[in-house]
Amino acid sequence: MARRAHRNGLSAMRLTIDKVSKAFPGVRALDEVSLALAPGEIHAVMGENGAGKSTLIKIITGIYRPDAGHVLIDGKDAIFNSPRDAIAAGIAAVHQERNLIPRFTVGENILLEALPTQNGLVDYARVNREARRHLDLLDRSIDTKAEVRTLSVAQMQIVEVAKALSLEAKCLLLDEPTASITEHETAALFDLIGKLRADGVAIVFVSHKLEEVFAIADRVTVLRDGKVAVANEPMSNMSRGRLVSLMIGREEREAQLGRRTVDQSNVVLETRGLATSFGHRGVDLALHRGEILGLYGLVGAGRSELARALVGGGTITGGEVFVRGKPTRIRDMHEALARYRIGFISEDRKQEGLILMHSIRENVAITIWRRLAGPLGLLGARKEARAIQPYVQRLDVRTPSLDQTVGNLSGGNQQKVSVAKWLAANVEILIIDEPTVGIDIKTKAYLHELIGEIAAGGVSVLLISSEMPEIITVADRILVMHDFRLVGEVANDRRYDPMSKAIMGFIHAVEETPDAAE
Amino acid sequence: MRMLRRLVMVEWSGLAAAIVLGGIILSWVAPNFLTEFNLYVMLRSFCVSLLVGFAQMVTLGVGQLNLSVGALGGLVAICFGGMMEVLGVPLPVAVVAAVVLGAAGGLVNGLLTVRTGINGFIITLATASAFTGINFGITRSIPFYKMPPVLVAFGEQHLSAFPYLLIAPLIVAALLGLFFARTVPGRHLLAVGGNPNAADLSGISRNRAVVVAHALSGTLAGIAAILAVAQLGSAQPTIGADWLLLSFAAPIIGGAALTGGYISVLGTMFAVVLIALIENGMVLAKVDPYWVQFLLGALILAAVWLNRWRAVRTGTD
Amino acid sequence: MSDEAISEAPAPQRLLNIGMLLAQFGLVIIILAFWVFFASQASGFLSPFNLFNIGRALAIDIIIGFAQMVVLATGGMNLAVGAIGVCAVMTAGYLMQTVGLPVWLAVVGALALGAALGWLNGFAIVRTGVNAFIITLASANLFSGGMLILTKAVPLNRLPPAVSAFGRMKIGFVSPLLIVALSLGVLLFVLFRYTTLGRQILAAGANARAAAMSGVPVGRIIVIAHTLSGLLAAIAGVLLVSRLGAAMPSVGGNDWLLPSFLGPVIGGTLLSGGFVSVVGSALGALLVTTIRSGLLVLQIGSFWLDFFLGVILLFAVLVDRYRSVYAERIKMVRR
Repeated sequence: MARRAHRNGLSAMRLTIDKVSKAFPGVRALDEVSLALAPGEIHAVMGENGAGKSTLIKIITGIYRPDAGHVLIDGKDAIFNSPRDAIAAGIAAVHQERNLIPRFTVGENILLEALPTQNGLVDYARVNREARRHLDLLDRSIDTKAEVRTLSVAQMQIVEVAKALSLEAKCLLLDEPTASITEHETAALFDLIGKLRADGVAIVFVSHKLEEVFAIADRVTVLRDGKVAVANEPMSNMSRGRLVSLMIGREEREAQLGRRTVDQSNVVLETRGLATSFGHRGVDLALHRGEILGLYGLVGAGRSELARALVGGGTITGGEVFVRGKPTRIRDMHEALARYRIGFISEDRKQEGLILMHSIRENVAITIWRRLAGPLGLLGARKEARAIQPYVQRLDVRTPSLDQTVGNLSGGNQQKVSVAKWLAANVEILIIDEPTVGIDIKTKAYLHELIGEIAAGGVSVLLISSEMPEIITVADRILVMHDFRLVGEVANDRRYDPMSKAIMGFIHAVEETPDAAE
Repeated sequence: MRMLRRLVMVEWSGLAAAIVLGGIILSWVAPNFLTEFNLYVMLRSFCVSLLVGFAQMVTLGVGQLNLSVGALGGLVAICFGGMMEVLGVPLPVAVVAAVVLGAAGGLVNGLLTVRTGINGFIITLATASAFTGINFGITRSIPFYKMPPVLVAFGEQHLSAFPYLLIAPLIVAALLGLFFARTVPGRHLLAVGGNPNAADLSGISRNRAVVVAHALSGTLAGIAAILAVAQLGSAQPTIGADWLLLSFAAPIIGGAALTGGYISVLGTMFAVVLIALIENGMVLAKVDPYWVQFLLGALILAAVWLNRWRAVRTGTD
Repeated sequence: MSDEAISEAPAPQRLLNIGMLLAQFGLVIIILAFWVFFASQASGFLSPFNLFNIGRALAIDIIIGFAQMVVLATGGMNLAVGAIGVCAVMTAGYLMQTVGLPVWLAVVGALALGAALGWLNGFAIVRTGVNAFIITLASANLFSGGMLILTKAVPLNRLPPAVSAFGRMKIGFVSPLLIVALSLGVLLFVLFRYTTLGRQILAAGANARAAAMSGVPVGRIIVIAHTLSGLLAAIAGVLLVSRLGAAMPSVGGNDWLLPSFLGPVIGGTLLSGGFVSVVGSALGALLVTTIRSGLLVLQIGSFWLDFFLGVILLFAVLVDRYRSVYAERIKMVRR
């Protein structure tokens, strides 16, 4: 790795983050985070889900304002009131979510910030020419005149990168830029990043993929739970093991789940050769009664999609699903709950797990209204409250009243509410997707123990997580998913290091094999 | 067969086909359909309708709704007429003033929507009521009858089947087409409608786009009002009363996306032609005029269904 | 941890509730103020005759508002309220006069039609996934156009005398129409506060995705809401027939559009769904009817009425907006 000589003074640094903090209701997303990039430096920012990486990017690009701390460009304080200010200051970003105008052409999307004009009218010849220029560095096959909505996800991501490039920024931020693109495009992208570095552009590179970080980054900053675990560390000082342990931490988690025996003969949920419209192929899994089956994978591996397909949120294109031995095709959550006693705790608690404007009572009781109601469907608030009180208490939701609006609760308490409603529903199979993202440590441990208790009570749990410690702490058995396929299985003997190595091994084995289908 | 399928995919092909088909049927069923006089009548009603459709089209483009199109039109109409009849304002000045009034009304809508953060639906529902109220408060339902002869003549004269009145909407159509396809503000407007977040991240001001769209909508409603007065020969307070449905029907049948981000000037024009054709046909065939309303409703549903079918097929759903 | 902060939770929550009560209370104050004003300006305002008329108009406005309210609860809207109303009007008239059915049967027929038309709307919305705005805009024209074609816009005014007698009945100065409206109000109040269906409707309106993920059959709920809306619109139509003593195709339609939104929105029902106020909708309708009647009695002429209504609507929505922004700010400060 090229070494950058240390220069004196902040002005030598293209981008400086100085003790930046940002909090949202209930969560400290960033806590006095500091890091710095020199021109021509590729700086990786790593961390688990919820570590604060996206928040940091949003602050640098002007979407959020920090509660405390400064952002400095070339040593000067930069205050961004909107993304426009950030663009003007020379910052370009490729965010995780797609930000393209569906009905506009590729060319127009790329140059949207500054459409070239001639005599007051948009000069489409120039739009296409210049967009072509930026796009060719990455992918010659995408037509600049094509409407973005007709492109594949991978192509859209390439267009986003081209868009950021067109800004010819001083500082480029890439948030998981290779999440959906092919090997070939990734190589082209890295070539490009190398060229930009030579031109003196400072590049922030957020990625889960260790190989990529080791391949191109000069330095790395690791965030964990909103704080800096290590900052500005030269990659030459870094090893894979050290990086992983910095990311996931080696703190003793308070949850200590004992080993449990699972009845192997009682399979409650099974899939054989499952294929979905999302891209899954040949997924075989079996969930036993009272078991906690972990499904581990990195962002974009396809775990959530698989879970959703099981409960009707996606099309099953092949294979079979068996619930308690009977072949089924579940249409929607209504059927899943009413007929098959399956529950689903979504990873997006704010949009899917909870109704923020309603009270705790209404949120928890939603799964049991029909059961509670009398003949005419009548159901009083007091009866409701009495029915859910035990679950609210069991989950230790801190609230003076059940009529408290859920939107006003802290993140941890919100998550507890979204779990409570499934406890109240008395489900037999519970699918849990990323239960503790962005949750404080204490609540995390509490929820982990709770999951253990539920399973001990006979509920079968399918636990999806991208947090290694979580899944190793809680799951009895861990399936590893990568690129929409199951690539391995690890039994849980609670020995952390060998297990995490084995899990990552499965993932990298697939990554390092050249992609035959191209 | 593939050629046919490709043709169906073109946005306004269905419309064009319907128009041609409708025209053929009508000329066969009603002998006086293709007479110069009848075409003239049809084109005349087309003028105001087109502008009304455009007025809603521009707000749809940015993802907004303007329920006050008709009410504002009525208000501008009577102010236009009243200015000339009561205040003796000369015609050219009155025209300018009317257009400005329309723009001002639209501006009120836009600013209220953006400043208060309240849904444009409610804002324009309220202002529609307010505009209507002012209209009837001023006129007490009595039209202004004494319009300048120049205006009335402009509204009536024609070159064979081509009414002079048609010049204005055609110019407006060309300008709008240019605006949305080739100018930066126009593209920005559609960007905000297509994906407000993405537009914001690209440095486009969402608020400004909304205000501009509403102001433009009001302006177009004002122009429509002026033409309506010319067409009727008097400034009636009831002008605009039946514009609401038409204002939505035309752009939607013409292929506009209800959520914003895509509109079609050409499609809207074809839609208005089709609607005018249907109305004309009803009159000629001496069919119950109420069929028009019924068919309009059916047409909207058909257009929307067709759009969704297309979207699902091209995988853009 | 924010545990300490949570113990302060009562403050903002109670403030929101107080805000809600104040809004209703404030509305009552405004209504009373108008009544005092009108009564002082015109002695005839408080006469039994005028009160009776207000009651009758109010009854229909309230029900029209309810018809929109149940759909607003789901986060959608029903632009076909007027169209369904007028279809019910003409159906009732047709069944009574032309077919000669007994009154009660004709009423049932009209209500069934209204529910069926509402059902069609709901079905179309759920099946096609298209916005309720477009579907009901289109169906409104389909329905009223169809009705006009079938009836040829001929009013039916030789209805059984019992019909208009009912409309003219007086219990003191209260019309039975008003009693019907208030009873419906009670039923709807019970529906939204005390039944599973009501809760499900509000959940679907507040956050359809979350509701669906929690096992609520959202599609079915939306169809039910629209069916209910059609039924309520039909009830309003039938009451209108009784009040007018005739079935006229010129009523309803666009006339009902603004009032259907005014009552609920002024009364605090959220346009975006998830929250309704039955009492508020009734009060909102009362405010509108009060102003309309007052202007009439004062002989100011109804010309400026629409203007006032528009301004009041804006004002009411602004106040509501301010209340929610204020609540948001409280939330933020606390953190």
